[in-house]
Amino acid sequence: MICLPMLMIVFYAFTTQGNEVLTLQFTLDNFLRFFEDSIFPSVLWRSLKIAINTTLICIAIGYPCAYVISKLPGNKQSLMVLLITLPMWINMLVRTYAWRGMLNDSGLSNEMKVYIGMVYNFLPFMILQIHTSLSKMDQSLLAAAEDLGASKWQAFLKVTLPLSLPGVISGITLVFLPAVSSFFIPKLLGGGDFVLIGNLIESYFISTGDWNFGSAISLIMAVIILISMYITKKLDRQSKEVH
Amino acid sequence: MKKIIQFKNIVKQFDNQIVLKGINLDIYENEFVTLLGPSGCGKTTLLRILGGFLDADDGEIIFDGEEISKVPAYKRDINTVFQKYALFPHLNVYDNIAFGLKLKKVSKDIIEQKVNRMLSLVGLEGYAKRDVTLLSGGQQQRVAIARALVNEPNVLLLDEPLGALDLKLRKEMQIELKNIQQEVGITFIFVTHDQEEALTMSDKIVVMKDGEIQQVGTPTEIYNEPINEYVARFIGESNIIDGIMKDDYLVNFDDHDYKCVDFGFKKNEPVDIVIRPEDIDLVPRNKGIMNGEVKSVLFKGVHYEIIVETTSGTSKTVTMHVLGNKDIVNDEAHEKISASDFYMDLEDVENLTDAIVVARANAQAWNNEDEDVSLAKIEYDVKNAIGTYPCTFATAKGTEITINITVVKPVYTEDKANDEAIQAFDFYKTVDEIKESIALDTDLKQWANAQAWSLEDESPIEIWDVKYDFDDEDIKEGDYQITFSTMGRELKVHTTDYQEVGTKVGVLFAPEDLHVMSKMGN
Repeated sequence: MICLPMLMIVFYAFTTQGNEVLTLQFTLDNFLRFFEDSIFPSVLWRSLKIAINTTLICIAIGYPCAYVISKLPGNKQSLMVLLITLPMWINMLVRTYAWRGMLNDSGLSNEMKVYIGMVYNFLPFMILQIHTSLSKMDQSLLAAAEDLGASKWQAFLKVTLPLSLPGVISGITLVFLPAVSSFFIPKLLGGGDFVLIGNLIESYFISTGDWNFGSAISLIMAVIILISMYITKKLDRQSKEVH
Repeated sequence: MKKIIQFKNIVKQFDNQIVLKGINLDIYENEFVTLLGPSGCGKTTLLRILGGFLDADDGEIIFDGEEISKVPAYKRDINTVFQKYALFPHLNVYDNIAFGLKLKKVSKDIIEQKVNRMLSLVGLEGYAKRDVTLLSGGQQQRVAIARALVNEPNVLLLDEPLGALDLKLRKEMQIELKNIQQEVGITFIFVTHDQEEALTMSDKIVVMKDGEIQQVGTPTEIYNEPINEYVARFIGESNIIDGIMKDDYLVNFDDHDYKCVDFGFKKNEPVDIVIRPEDIDLVPRNKGIMNGEVKSVLFKGVHYEIIVETTSGTSKTVTMHVLGNKDIVNDEAHEKISASDFYMDLEDVENLTDAIVVARANAQAWNNEDEDVSLAKIEYDVKNAIGTYPCTFATAKGTEITINITVVKPVYTEDKANDEAIQAFDFYKTVDEIKESIALDTDLKQWANAQAWSLEDESPIEIWDVKYDFDDEDIKEGDYQITFSTMGRELKVHTTDYQEVGTKVGVLFAPEDLHVMSKMGN
């Protein structure tokens, strides 16, 4: 049941349009078309760039937030976690519409608006992941580091940071993946001319009805995601070995 | 020897609770000092203040001639072995130990030299590359010690480091720690609540209680000459007896004078006397200083722990009226009900509740299937005066029984010598109730409402003995005498010779085995 839709996508991606069982034709045209037309790779590149930047911004804002929260006393900590999860109780689409209302007359560039929407939507995932790994950390380790001659800053660099890396890495996975394939945030906030790979897939499936090409783009995306996940996993393992 | 640490009037409070009440303590170079006390006595707080993890509210810490209260932890020449080791889980054994040296920017080859020397000191050669999270408790312990010692501190603090280890490993580590301390020749300050650990390892023991130091001394001083009852109880097992110091070298307890080696007390000063269980010998009757009867024997492995009663306790005899079966049967409702008359103390009438009445009367109802039926009605009108009052119990279906509650004047026996009193009442029971009893001694105490208390402060005293001469499996209607008594003077004796419970023996100890101490608070 889980694999069936995936298999259908693979099937569509490698066949020509108008599939009737009798005229079934396997082809690589869909993929060739993607790379031959210069517009598609540039959309892909733009999507990756936005996803990577979103992830970096989320780390830059999320880590200090999570760190501060993890230093609060227990009940305030739960309150802050609740406040961070609170927006998630409301549909993401509705919240993005709300942002559209607010940003429409702001005079910001479309790219800026997309970044705001993305960071707003995905930041909680980053904060929660990092917060979990920070709050799990045994506080006596910091006392031990200090005892061995580490200043507060050194203790942070040598103990807190490496021990919170797994949280950062799972935060990256949780932010990067939805960011790279998101389609309604650029659609709603990008003013219609800001096309990302997610929008491409959506338009081929829904507007054009070219399921085969849409499937091919999805597959390419899937491969890219797979590669990026492999790289993060590898980084994760390396960070453990280095220390 | 040189003083390395001086605590001067250290005060600390948390949430308005004073945990350290002005600690003054000197610690010398190369000493193995143990802070000993139960949890909450302030020993860990004192250690954390010295380590720099807590600030004292008041007082000074002089370290090597300098006041260090304001020096942050990372600048103090002190290292700590934490309670749960606090090893860095993301570093291997080598990097954990090298942590402090790397921060000091020591060159690589020197770090390697020092770490390897530490590994061999703690017996972990070949473990350098191991993941610390996969080590056993004892190995983690050794890494924690090595990690602290590699920095060559002047003082090593150890916060209950052996608490998480099993008994055998703990004993091994005790010896090993002592050896390491002697080898590196620095001051160890060790915190523990385990008196045996303290006695085994320390050069000096500091006994603490409620944020105050009780006694400072070598293990033998603390054991042989405890300064007060608290220290005596905390260190080793002991018999502690209230007595009066008649004169120098003469102490009185249980109405007899005994020679002792203590002097310098006021005439007739009330004192506590300690006799260690292993200092007492059991000899044939009339061959010792006093006579007694063996009350209980426990096998403790190397020795037996024998409780000997040397003076009898306070006792009270009551009559148990045993009646035949008088269950009331209600054929219509298919139910039975039973309850017994009982006596009660005039003083208790005010506090009488339904639950007490049901328990004292042992009122119960049940149906043909032997299921309990609850009592729907409990009616009594007991006046606050001596007399006999009826009391009726009934079920919802109308099965009922009436009994008599007899209110009597409190009757108790006082024993001025033991400073205690005991009371008990006559009572009624049926043959069946006695036969059905699972724990007869306990039930008899409850039925007779037997209680004993101290005349000094009215605190309850355990009723140690219940004597009767009937066979509860085969009891008939009639009156029986039951005697309840408290334990008299009990002496705990450790000996390798077995004694039968009930044996009459003589008790022998030497004048130097009596350790006389001032009463606490004086």
